[in-house]
Amino acid sequence: MVGTPVLFIAIPLLAAFLIPLIGMVWKESVRIIPGLVLAYLLVLAINLLSYVTVNGPIVEVIAGWAPPIGINLVFNAFSGFLVTIMVFMGLLVWLYSYRFKSNVEYEAARKYFLLLMMLVTGSVGIVLTGDIFNMFVFIEITGISGYALTAFYTGRDSAEASFKYLMMGSIASVLLLLAIMIIYSQLGTLNMADVASKMHLMDPKLKAVSFILFVIALGIEAEVFPLNGWAPDAYAEAPGPVGAAFAGIVVKAAVYALIRYTYTIFDLSGAFNLLIIIGLITLVVAEVAAIRQEKLKRMLAYSSIGQMGLVLVSFGIGTKEGVFAALFIMLNHAIIKPLLFFSGSYLVYHSKKKMISDVDGMGKLAPLTSILFTLGAFAIVGLPPFAGFWSKLSFLMAAADSNMLLIIGLILTVSVVELVYYMRVVNRIFFFKRATHLLARRPTFNAYVVMIVLGLMILGIGFYPDSVSNYLHHAANSLFDKSQYIHSVLTATIQ
Amino acid sequence: MDSTYFQYLDYAVYGTAVLVMLTGLYAALVKRSLLKIVIGLSIVDSGLNLLIVTLGYLKGGTAPIFSAGYDGTQTMVDPIPQALVLTAIVIGFGVTAVALSLVIRLWRHHHTLYIDEIKNLKW
Repeated sequence: MVGTPVLFIAIPLLAAFLIPLIGMVWKESVRIIPGLVLAYLLVLAINLLSYVTVNGPIVEVIAGWAPPIGINLVFNAFSGFLVTIMVFMGLLVWLYSYRFKSNVEYEAARKYFLLLMMLVTGSVGIVLTGDIFNMFVFIEITGISGYALTAFYTGRDSAEASFKYLMMGSIASVLLLLAIMIIYSQLGTLNMADVASKMHLMDPKLKAVSFILFVIALGIEAEVFPLNGWAPDAYAEAPGPVGAAFAGIVVKAAVYALIRYTYTIFDLSGAFNLLIIIGLITLVVAEVAAIRQEKLKRMLAYSSIGQMGLVLVSFGIGTKEGVFAALFIMLNHAIIKPLLFFSGSYLVYHSKKKMISDVDGMGKLAPLTSILFTLGAFAIVGLPPFAGFWSKLSFLMAAADSNMLLIIGLILTVSVVELVYYMRVVNRIFFFKRATHLLARRPTFNAYVVMIVLGLMILGIGFYPDSVSNYLHHAANSLFDKSQYIHSVLTATIQ
Repeated sequence: MDSTYFQYLDYAVYGTAVLVMLTGLYAALVKRSLLKIVIGLSIVDSGLNLLIVTLGYLKGGTAPIFSAGYDGTQTMVDPIPQALVLTAIVIGFGVTAVALSLVIRLWRHHHTLYIDEIKNLKW
């Protein structure tokens, strides 16, 4: 082993605090340090992930208090897989925003990268921690940096979007803390594995109440309908890369938390059906809302919510194939949606209102950006041979194995809706005449690199889906092995 | 007076905590002024903190500190909820600070604090 899981939290947190200090001496460092940190974490994540697929989970005891008393971090195939995706997305967001708006001031860059580091710390912490109160703290770290990043631009209506996010977020945190305290008052422990092993002792009514509180609280962060009122505004008003970071990092962490509570901690029989129902409602409402949007980023935001609904349905199937499909959809969403946000925000760069109609005729002005956007659009609706096809196929196969034919029909119908609104934009890009005199903005070199890397990954996974399915199978197995999770945490010793 | 009345009184603090939380929730969801919403959110936090401390309380318990005068016979209150409340207070403070700075931004932008008049995004 080359490192331990605690570095995923310690290093970005330290970097976030050091950025303003080192920035006083050397101004360029505020842009460079986050990149070095994220690159190192990515190498570490890949190393640890290949270690745990062979040797089983790593449980790290913090501060010398063995579980169930102290806080512990769990890096297994499932959480490690998500950490790898999140750190990778963080690196791409950093690269994209390295010279984001070349006129960006030192002051603004310092705040932006500091908050980005905090966002990564919080999200990775949510995934790694093995303690429910610690998870609450990380959710708050993510939330507060998310509010600040949403309000980053002073000119637009970003403060309004951010206030909305903050209101829903702080109500979520109250409900979350209430749910945690109900568990603590009944079981006297905060360690996830310990809670999971004692869960059968809890009064069923209180168990149901605290589970529902958890679902509502995490549903706000995971953009589940009807708790997602903040999401379209936050995506539309935040800077482009921040929208990508929300889609690629924050939402993944919230969905992870929801899944960890449903699968490992609570043993409620109706929980899977609840996931399917809220997932389906989210999916249908979001896709129908997306087709009515006139602003490009709002449309992408609703599409993002819809994808999360699909992930929840897939987790709700409750079989190994279902979990495999859900993880595959999450992986693809983490690759495709940032590409759409990155290229989309360049397509409407100069327009004030960021309307979908502003992309008319962009195919001639900015061919490469348009092609990359189209690639993302094709991939997310699930056209072969792109990445999204395989995840949708594995989802349909998992649903078919469980005889959920009604769900298959519904998902295919919704996919048609999805196809319609993405093809509408693509059609406008290539076949409409340009009505305004706004010129296209040339993406920066870094932005091109990021978009092309994402495009190549979409094609790569599309042609060789086996390259990732091995990791996905390991991750799905480790989520199902509840007793191994509990055993490995409770027998962990101080290394 | 019979002591059963006082046993019910033991639960009064739970009722108070829940009442404080509901008051704050009412303010946060019904009031139209941004400042009152922020105050409401912070009242909800206070009510929750009160509830958490109450959960860890034992009747006749002392402070959970092993000091020279402690003889091992007295009961101690549960220290973990107190530690959690400390964390929750700090987080609540941070959220309130961010919320107030956003309110200042909104005031500068719109010159009003009433959310009915700030409608560029749909509420």
